[in-house]
Amino acid sequence: MSRTADNSNSRSEFNRYVLPFLIVGLVALALSFLGALFRPQQFFQSYLFAYVFWIGLVVGSLAVLMMQYLTGGAWGIILRRVLESVTATMPLMILLFVPLLFGLHRLYIWTHSEVVATDPLLQHKKGFLNVPFFIVRAAVYFGCWILFALLLNRWSREQDRTSEPHLAWRLEHLSGPGLFVLAITLSLAMIDWVMSVEPRWYSTIYAVIYTAGDVLAALAFGIGIVLLLARSAPLVYIMKPKHWRDLGNMLLTFVMLWAYCAFSQYLLIWSGNLREEITWYLPRESGGWGWIALALILVHFFLPFLLLLSRQVKERRYLLFTVIISVLVLRFVDIYWFVAPAFSPFHFTVSWLDFLVPIGMGGLWLAYFTRQLTKWPLLPLNDPYAEEALNAEE
Amino acid sequence: MSSNEEAEIERPPVIQPGHTFMTITDKISAIVLSRRTPLRWLIGFAVAFLLVMLLLWTIARLIFVGIGIWGIDIPVAWGFAISNFVWWIGIGHAGTLISAILLLLHQKWRTSINRFAEAMTLFAVACATLFPLLHLGRPWFFYWLLPYPNTMELWPQFRSPLVWDVFAIFTYFIVSLVFWYIGMIPDLATLRDRARSKLAWMAYGILALGWRGSSRHWKNYETVYLLLAGLATPLVVSVHTIVSFDFSVAIVPGWHSTIFPPYFVAGAMFSGFAMVLTLAIPIRKVYALEDFITMRHLENMGKLLLVAGLIVTYSYLSEGFFAWYGGNQFEQYMELNRMFGSYGYMYWILIAGNVLAPQVFWFQRMRRSVPVLFIASIVVNIGMWTERYVIVVQSLHRDFMPSAWGMYRATLWDYAAFAGSLGLFIALLFLFIRFLPLISMAEMRELLPQAKVEESA
Amino acid sequence: MKRGVRFYGLMAEFDDPQKLLEAAKAARREGYRRMEAYTPFAIEEVSEELGHGRGWIPYIVFAGGLGGAVIGLGMQWYAMAIAYPLNIGGRPLWSWPAFMPITFELAVLGAALLGALGMLALNRLPQPYHPVFNVERFDLATQNRFFLCIEASDPYFDRKQTREFLMSTEPREVFDVEDR
Repeated sequence: MSRTADNSNSRSEFNRYVLPFLIVGLVALALSFLGALFRPQQFFQSYLFAYVFWIGLVVGSLAVLMMQYLTGGAWGIILRRVLESVTATMPLMILLFVPLLFGLHRLYIWTHSEVVATDPLLQHKKGFLNVPFFIVRAAVYFGCWILFALLLNRWSREQDRTSEPHLAWRLEHLSGPGLFVLAITLSLAMIDWVMSVEPRWYSTIYAVIYTAGDVLAALAFGIGIVLLLARSAPLVYIMKPKHWRDLGNMLLTFVMLWAYCAFSQYLLIWSGNLREEITWYLPRESGGWGWIALALILVHFFLPFLLLLSRQVKERRYLLFTVIISVLVLRFVDIYWFVAPAFSPFHFTVSWLDFLVPIGMGGLWLAYFTRQLTKWPLLPLNDPYAEEALNAEE
Repeated sequence: MSSNEEAEIERPPVIQPGHTFMTITDKISAIVLSRRTPLRWLIGFAVAFLLVMLLLWTIARLIFVGIGIWGIDIPVAWGFAISNFVWWIGIGHAGTLISAILLLLHQKWRTSINRFAEAMTLFAVACATLFPLLHLGRPWFFYWLLPYPNTMELWPQFRSPLVWDVFAIFTYFIVSLVFWYIGMIPDLATLRDRARSKLAWMAYGILALGWRGSSRHWKNYETVYLLLAGLATPLVVSVHTIVSFDFSVAIVPGWHSTIFPPYFVAGAMFSGFAMVLTLAIPIRKVYALEDFITMRHLENMGKLLLVAGLIVTYSYLSEGFFAWYGGNQFEQYMELNRMFGSYGYMYWILIAGNVLAPQVFWFQRMRRSVPVLFIASIVVNIGMWTERYVIVVQSLHRDFMPSAWGMYRATLWDYAAFAGSLGLFIALLFLFIRFLPLISMAEMRELLPQAKVEESA
Repeated sequence: MKRGVRFYGLMAEFDDPQKLLEAAKAARREGYRRMEAYTPFAIEEVSEELGHGRGWIPYIVFAGGLGGAVIGLGMQWYAMAIAYPLNIGGRPLWSWPAFMPITFELAVLGAALLGALGMLALNRLPQPYHPVFNVERFDLATQNRFFLCIEASDPYFDRKQTREFLMSTEPREVFDVEDR
């Protein structure tokens, strides 16, 4: 089988980046922590926003990984190793969550007992929104996620070594219930960590918007890495135009799904115009935030949508790569638009920490990810469906 | 490679081995072209036809007396009719989803079920359209909903989801029809070329439009078919989304929830997949199509039911959680009343049908048991109808002000209209089975191993 | 006026798609260009061999979609903001979020209808009569046989040589196609 050919080339090429990523990450994080001494409030806001992006990418990858075990198809086999490496960074993400715990009082108004005491609504939610339960819930989410990440990675490696057919069955059977658990835990995590920043407001589709966006980010990131890897063995032998088209179409689907969920929430709240609901959008529409919203509509939806309709874009790597970079950047902007106006309603602000913290976190994360990626063959070796799927017609 | 073969053995094939281009053509076209109409067909059609008569009778009475013959009143102004509407539209969606999404995902197993799934879509949409039209009160003025420059220079109110519905349903019907018809042209040509009676030859000849199967024909055909599938997929989602807007745009506890759009779409898939199973199982038995609609199809449908069931479950959980979390007393009351109020039993039926029943499909043995699949599909159909009933009736019967509370009880005419619409659906389906190819012959031929060509020379 | 019988071309019948593909390749090597294959299902390789590209359809569909969207949005804007401005629950006259659903629906409608009509037009359908139908066994082209027809209008066409060439591609039979 030609695809098991040695891929040490592309591996070592990637290994080169580990150290630079690590240095950038550590320096930026060190500077951010320094910044925390002077502007602690801003630091935690930026930290929350950056964390929501990176954890979303990791959990989104977990979801895509499980989806591909359930649906099969070439796209899953192509993306699998990249996504596994993304999910393998879960320990780092848990570590990175810890600093947030020191900022709970600054981020979440429901931790202020004097505010809660005067607000009947917050008193009503006290049973859910309180610090010990918040931490317990976070522990449960991370427990589920790291278990999934561990099992999916371990069984896949075992499949490489032993080609035991039973492993494919196991992976499939973990993925079904796993996806459901993932949907519930990710939803609750987004409610806890982000929605409860504005604890009086709620929307039932809110967590679904995040889920769609996270899967979009995971797909974009995975495809982006595959694009970089496809210049050399083994992917260069595998990738055919139809595979690029399939990957591009998946990206298109999730661009549309994200836009669909985001628009549904907007239309319903805009149309209802209720005081307890519209107060989430009003601060996000004015004082400069409105331009960000417009940019999201145009660049996060219309641009990738129109570009990805075209076959040429999906088959030309540099065009596809450009789309992916724009999707990932706009995913950042999207999360910023969700999180930051809660702290600075009606007035657009952006701080140097909003750049520094994501870069620091990202540098560290990318170093970890790249290290993971170079450890294993870039294609699963003994998947019983791989040969069939990669050579399938159409 | 050995593991590869084992995996192959584990999955039943999408078409039983041993068929040739001709046996496929023979078997499928024979259902249509055989001269004698089977007795079972006649009996089935007669039953359905009686129900259609019941429907016509109900409609006639409704037009003469008014919609008061139904149990609707204020506060429950939307009773059976709207539940039926949402239920039928939902059933229609599965047809498009099966044929369009699975085509885009290169799922070859769709081939033998897509044609009748699409037919199911059309007939379900026809049944669905009936209800809001009759519900208008003065159905003969339905054209007031259309945007045309009338004598009063009045336009439809485009900010209302009810007007969006008109456009959504109209578009959906037309696009489904086009998709279905375009997909059928090559098969109609086959029927034309095999027809023995002059009448059949003429009829299928006209419908086939002179299709010759030239490679240019095929190229353009395939391109447009794929694009139509790409269009139909977001269309389905948009249609049920707009149906959900009918509820969620209104500021009514239990309706005004932002998760409604994806929740309704998932519910639509759910009931539709169930209906496909309910229909496919008897059809494959009666017409001996086990070679084409294999265990693989049934098993995959079982899986899809489970997935859709879980998405719906997520929505129920989210509904319950946010009713509490939101702290709005009306929402809280609505949720408790939904579970334990006057219509509480309906809620538990829907939980049993939509949440519990599909859980059996975690087990492969259940997914491969035809009786289990059949029964579960019917249970899910009932559960999903109940869900619409709960959403429509239960949310309305307790308004903000207790002085405006009321109860809804369906009258005989409500049941008659529902039963009649079932009859209409079944009658149309029978006609389709008798006169049009039930399975796409062209695509089935393509699935055969003989159809593979190699680029050598 | 008496209408004579015109000679349309020569048609070979094949048992399986592989032979058809090879015959088509051979015919192209021989220099024939005006020819067409008739098959009971889509064979992408044959279409490619005969030089049928992706064609206009994607652009037609896109244009239909764009047209539908523009018409949809324009109609709502005109009706709600110009022709009959009406205050509905305090919402602005230009209620763009509320106009999106219909805009989308009409975009899909336009794309699908124009796409379907475009396909028929590009395939010159409906076309009840075509010379190839005159071949008795052509009925099988929609069932289980594969046909390759080299048309008489091809500059390299020669009734005798072309027949010999077609015979060399191992067909079941070669027929004269007449335009009556």
